[in-house]
Formats: sequence, C-alpha cells, structure tokens
Amino acid sequence: MKKQSLLLRVLVLAYVAALLGIPLLFVFQQAFSHGWSELWAALHDHAMDLAILLTAKVVVVAVPLNILFGIGASLWIVRRPSRLSHVLDVLIDVPLAISPIVVGLVLELAYAQNGWFGPTLAKLGWRVMFSLPGIVIASIFVSLPLVSRQVIPLLREIGDHQEQTAATLGASPIRIFFTITLRSIAWAAAYGVTLTLARVIGEYGAVLIVSGNIALLTQTLTLNIGANFENFNSYQGFVGALLLAFVSVAVLLVIAVARHRLERKRHDSFA
Amino acid sequence: MTVSLDGVSKSFGKSLVLDDITDVFADGEMTALLGPSGSGKSTLLRIIAGLTPLDSGRVRLGERDVTSSPARERHIGFCFQDYAPFRHLSVFANVAYGLKVQRVPRAERKARVEELLGLVRLEDFADRYPHQLSGGQRQRMALARALAIKPDVLLLDEPFAALDAQVRGELRSWVRSLQRELGITTILVTHDQIEAMEIADRLVILNEGRIEQTGKPSFVYDHPSTDFVAGFLGPITTLWGISYRPHELELSLDGDEGEKATVTDVVRLGFEVRVVLTNQTGESSWVQLTHDQAKALNPSIGQRYVVRPRSARGLIEQDPTKRARS
Repeated sequence: MKKQSLLLRVLVLAYVAALLGIPLLFVFQQAFSHGWSELWAALHDHAMDLAILLTAKVVVVAVPLNILFGIGASLWIVRRPSRLSHVLDVLIDVPLAISPIVVGLVLELAYAQNGWFGPTLAKLGWRVMFSLPGIVIASIFVSLPLVSRQVIPLLREIGDHQEQTAATLGASPIRIFFTITLRSIAWAAAYGVTLTLARVIGEYGAVLIVSGNIALLTQTLTLNIGANFENFNSYQGFVGALLLAFVSVAVLLVIAVARHRLERKRHDSFA
Repeated sequence: MTVSLDGVSKSFGKSLVLDDITDVFADGEMTALLGPSGSGKSTLLRIIAGLTPLDSGRVRLGERDVTSSPARERHIGFCFQDYAPFRHLSVFANVAYGLKVQRVPRAERKARVEELLGLVRLEDFADRYPHQLSGGQRQRMALARALAIKPDVLLLDEPFAALDAQVRGELRSWVRSLQRELGITTILVTHDQIEAMEIADRLVILNEGRIEQTGKPSFVYDHPSTDFVAGFLGPITTLWGISYRPHELELSLDGDEGEKATVTDVVRLGFEVRVVLTNQTGESSWVQLTHDQAKALNPSIGQRYVVRPRSARGLIEQDPTKRARS
C-alpha cells in the first residue's frame, strides 16, 4: 500500500512537472537567456508596452462590470427566483460551454459594419469592432459566469434568515445588502474576481477576432506575444510570457488566500 | 402589546396554508402555536412578523394596523429556529445591530448591549464569534439581539428544536421566567405538545391551516373539543366508543359497572405501566397505571378485570357538530 501511494505521488508530480513546471521553467530560461540588459530593453519594447496598457484598460473596465453583473445576477437568481431568472441561470454558463473563437465570430456578426447593430452604431459614431469596446465586450462575455458561479452556491447555503432577521431589527434593504449580504459573500466574490482577472488578462481567441490584432492599436498582451512568435521574434515573445507568468503567480496567490478564507467560512458554518 | 389577527388566509400556489385565522394574543401573554408540521403555524408567525405577505385578512399590533407594513417597520423581535446569527459579527456586534440601525449613541449602545448580555448570561462571550458558541449560547444571543430594540412583540420559531434534550429543558424554563420578567407579548411556534403546555399561558392548536381550539393548556388537555386536539395533546383510548385519557380509566377485579375484559399486554415504562385489555366483542382499550397502582393490582396477560371510567364524562363533549369536523 505504501509503495503504491509513493508511486502514485511520483506519477502525479511527474505529470504536473511535464505539463506545467518544465514549460514554465523554459519560459524563464528563454527570457533570461540574453542577459539582463537585453531583458531590460525587451521590457521597453514599444509595441509590448502599448499592449500591456491596452490589457490594463480592458481589465479596469471589464472586471468591475463583471463584479456588478455577477453579484446582481446571483442575488436575482437565488433571492428572487422567477422563470426569467431560471433562464438567466442557464444562459450564464453559455460562455463556458462555447469556444472563445465562436464568441469572437458571433460578436463580429453582431457589431461589424455590415452586422446587425454595426450600421446603427456607426451612425452614432460608435465603433465596436477593432477597438477597445469590442475587446471589452469579448472579455466580459468569456468571463461572464466566473463571479456568479462562486457567489450563487454560497448565497444558497447561507440562506436568507440573516437578512430577514436584520429586516426585523429595522434595517433597510440597502443596509442589509452592505452589512449582511455583501459581508457574507465577500470572499466568494473575491475568488470569482481573481478568476475573472486571470481570464480577462489571458483571453486570446475571442479578442483576436474582435480586435483585428492591429499592432500598436488593438493588440493586447496575449495578442502581442502571439504576434511576436509568429514573426520569429520569439525572444520578445518569451519576455511577454514571463510577464504573464508573474501576473498568474500573483493571481494564484490571491486565489489561494481567498479559497482558504472561504473554506474556513464553510467550515465555520453550522450544522 | 396585543396582536390581533382577523381572517388571515394564505395560499402557496394551489395549497391553502392558512384558512381564515382570527385570534387575539393578549398583552404580556405567552402563547404557543401548536400543531403538526404542515399545519401552517410557522407561516402564521412569519405573517405576523411581516416576513411573508398574506393573501387576505388584517394584522393589528395594539391599535396599529400593520397589514401592509414591511417587517422593518413593525418593531417585532423574531428568532429563527437556526437562530440566524450574523456569522461575520462578534456576539457584541450581533446584539448591537438593531441599536446601530436606530442610531442609538455609542455610549448608550454599549451600556444597553452589556445589560442584555448580562440578562442572557453571555457577558463573558462579547468578543466571541457565533461559530465559537454552543447551540444554547447562540440561541441566547439571538434572543438578546431581538430584545435589544425593545420590541413590542417577541416571536420565536421552534426555539428549542435544535437543542439537545437537557439544554432544551433548562432554556425552556429560563425563557419562560425571562418572558414573565419582561412582560413582553410572546408567540412561539412548536410541534412539541409537552413544551407548549409547560411554557405557554395559552395554546392555539392549528391543524391543516385552521384553528382547532384555543385556551389554557390544562383546560384544553382536559376538555379537547375535537379528536384531533385530544390525540395531539396526549394519549387517548376508547371505551364503549367514547374517548378517555388512559389514566382516567381504572381496573378492578370485580364490580357491576364497567366492562369485563382480558389483559392482552402489559408494558412497563418505569413510573408508568400500560395495560392493554380486550373485551368479549374484540374491542380493546388501554389503561395507564402508576407504578404503585400496578404493584397493587399486579396485572398479567390473561387476567380478567372490570374496566370503568373514573368519571362518567368522556374526554370530548358529545357535540355532534364538533365531532363531525375531525
């Protein structure tokens, strides 16, 4: 039994190392292969810096919108269930079920100049495709369920007795939301937010189509990395990948903390 | 403050949960809403609190009609069966919640919370969190939190159901004495008839959304108006087609008044001994004897006795309209 479990552990570790560890080490090795000064210069690559800036802009708009939507949708689905909210409950998972490239194509169909809304929006002077709004919409779309899928089970589990008790104590609905509901779901929401952040930063397929992948204009960091590899500028690509790896580690740390807190909360829940 | 219900009805979908409930809960009285699960008692409590909207009827607190007031304007203390502690707040902050909503100044708030924690004997637990408390302590915290706003009425939904037997008994008598001390109108929901009879000044017995009977526990026990109430409050047996409490029947070795019957079973439950007898036509009754009575008679299977009621009156008044209801 002991030998078997040891073998199992070695196998699992080797599997993870082959899939995750070695490629990640390779990214580091490649990024540092030309020495510090080259790395410093590559970090100041103009196209990449603009790509980082664009990704930051997308994060700043898309993540807060997803938090608002995720918490709002969760409350609607759990606390005010109706036929319509059940439909939303199902629809909300669609982005996880379909390929990002399809999301991109559907958005193009809707917003391109010859698409459904494209001409109307063009008359208003709004451009969605090949610009920031399109990238934001695609990013929100692919990360739509990530907050609510964390919040909904927790809302169900804690029930509404705390909220109703607060109401009998004279609290207004807004006060109940901020002092009871939000406090109860904070860690689940934080976990969902980090997942959203990671997804928005890392998204490639949907953004590739809606952005048009125009260097210096509509290239996000992931698109920039992809373009560098395609243009045989793989060193620059590895430097970009290194940056993404650092972001991932930071996100993983936050996730680990949030999950730990969440599990402790669940553990504290009463039988 | 009195609570008056006037023709309260409520349906969930197609099922009628409460059917035309009219009753008055007197000021300072402790009333138990007693009934089996599904009788509508918890729904009635939630309607009084304003947590569930009613379909028709009126709810009054004193002279004030609160039928359309939301829960937060009713000034009613409510304790859930699971106590619903605010998990992320300390015991102190839990009790202070309602006072903070009322914008009671900090110093006054602190004094009031400390007074309440003393009242529920949790003064040493002010800084703890709900998950660090036992079930009984959580319940006392929930009680202090509800009482903090000095509510006009206190509503308790199955307050002792989640506690183990020993704690339950202690808390029951403690809550009873606290309620008497504060003189607050209290309505509690329970499915446990012994609990209801022990704690309440008055019983309201519900069955399938209707009030079966109301009254003082001892009166309702001795004078149930329907078979349902009789059976729900205590054991019943029948002799000559009339219902009796089993301890109201007596056994003797001979005599003319009474039914001759043979012992078919004897169950000894410590203090209480149950003797099951069957007469010549196959009808059976059972008689509850005290330990001492059983010792004197020493009944055993196959022995013949004469069974007769101690008083001529049956348990339920032989009113044909009332009997027809059950």
